[in-house]
Amino acid sequence: MELKSFQHSGVSWQVSILGEKALLLKPDVESDKLHVIHKFSHLLDEYLIFGVVDIVPAYDSIAIIFDEGLRNHIELIDRLIELSTSENVIASSLNREVPVCYHLGLDWRELENHTNLAKSEIIEIHSSKIYTVAMIGFIPGFIFLDGLDPSISCPRKSRPRTNIPEGSVGIGGNQTGVYSLESPGGWNIIGRTPFSFFDIEKSPPSKLKAGDKIKFVQISEYEFWDF
Amino acid sequence: MTSIEVLDGGLFTTIQDFGRVGYRKYGIPVSGVMDIKSYELSNWLVGNPNGTPVLEFTLKGGRYLFHDNTVIAITGALMNPKINGSEIEMNCSLEIKEGDELELGYAKRGCRAYLAIQGDPKISKVMDSYSTYITGKFGGFEGRTLKKGDILEWKYLSQETEQRKTPKEKIPYFSSKIIVRVIKGIEWDWFNQSLKDQFLNSKYIIGSSSNRMGIRLDVNPLIVSKKEMISSAVIPGIIQLPPNGKPIILMQDGQTIGGYPRVAKVLDEDLWRLGQLKPGDQLSFILLP
Repeated sequence: MELKSFQHSGVSWQVSILGEKALLLKPDVESDKLHVIHKFSHLLDEYLIFGVVDIVPAYDSIAIIFDEGLRNHIELIDRLIELSTSENVIASSLNREVPVCYHLGLDWRELENHTNLAKSEIIEIHSSKIYTVAMIGFIPGFIFLDGLDPSISCPRKSRPRTNIPEGSVGIGGNQTGVYSLESPGGWNIIGRTPFSFFDIEKSPPSKLKAGDKIKFVQISEYEFWDF
Repeated sequence: MTSIEVLDGGLFTTIQDFGRVGYRKYGIPVSGVMDIKSYELSNWLVGNPNGTPVLEFTLKGGRYLFHDNTVIAITGALMNPKINGSEIEMNCSLEIKEGDELELGYAKRGCRAYLAIQGDPKISKVMDSYSTYITGKFGGFEGRTLKKGDILEWKYLSQETEQRKTPKEKIPYFSSKIIVRVIKGIEWDWFNQSLKDQFLNSKYIIGSSSNRMGIRLDVNPLIVSKKEMISSAVIPGIIQLPPNGKPIILMQDGQTIGGYPRVAKVLDEDLWRLGQLKPGDQLSFILLP
């Protein structure tokens, strides 16, 4: 159900009800949608509206989950409108180089067949780009990355694997991403990083957040196990 | 200290509390008890503060040996609980003596039973919660279901052992045919009137692969719009409509991001009733304006 919309630094946000204690915001923009979403999520993180307990950015939306600290959706929207007149915060995003051993990929044949490119060319293309963390989810620490070169996109596997080792780097359709924890999944695995992004004992448990930038750097199998 | 030995962990027994809030941005679901009403009742009966972790039994409880005296309470699904072979009452506080063996059978009514033990478990919290999250393999007892040979330790907090009993009218009744209230989902208007009618008029059967992540509904498939959905946040209670036309209600361990249209959402207040449905039970929806 659409409630109303509000303006923030030139962007119109459409507001709908996700649940009794949750709103969904969608920016009305043609380009740079992800950037607009990350900027506003960081603003929300920074301002800590009383009663807001979680902010979940995705590709074209931000969910805001609240508790008894806010009486209802309208009270939250009022706070959002109030935010929109206050000053902008500059979002601090992290740039990180992530080592990947491409030789530990499991689906090179599919990738080569589908793209008509050699493994070395695919690696060259994949490791030359800077990716933006689009969102984290649907399972703990799964990192969706934006910025995959269309020439190396490859459809998801028709039969998902029941167990993908932690740190696996994959391509699913026109997206690339990292399985931070061992989990089932349907993406084509092209490598593995020894770098650990996720630690349940830490607060926050994830070293990356939506909006951060990463670049993959190729390492050998020896370097992987030695890491 | 109370030490409890698992003789038989039943079908799916985990430690749960209210769950972990505030981590969905990292892909971590809330987890926590599936029937909050029976959960809160169980802690009240033994005099525990609200939010103290309990054992959640699913469909079949199992057998547990108490190595110390303590006070317990059992609420939720009717699993014919017995101590040393004799039937005991549910929904009241019970004194346990060293060497007592508690047994819970198959659920005759409802799906999940709760065991509150006086005190606090000697395990560490993960992200502010004792709840077990099976997919993530963390929380609760080693991030898994209980099995034979596990020893659970409960710190005994000295409390008054006032006998407590739930008034009859406060004991929830678990029906195998229920109606829950829903509100429109974000993608509600993606569907035409005949699909909306079909969605609201169908009688759904609880699928056998339903679990803490989601309740899968069996029904004549609802014809789904082919419109492409961009993955976006989901929360417990959201009803997704995947391409096979059989709705899934996301529950406590449900994923944080979903790629299927969110046709409706079950009211938070009604979620505990879904937690007591078992495979084969019947469900329908009523839309709130």
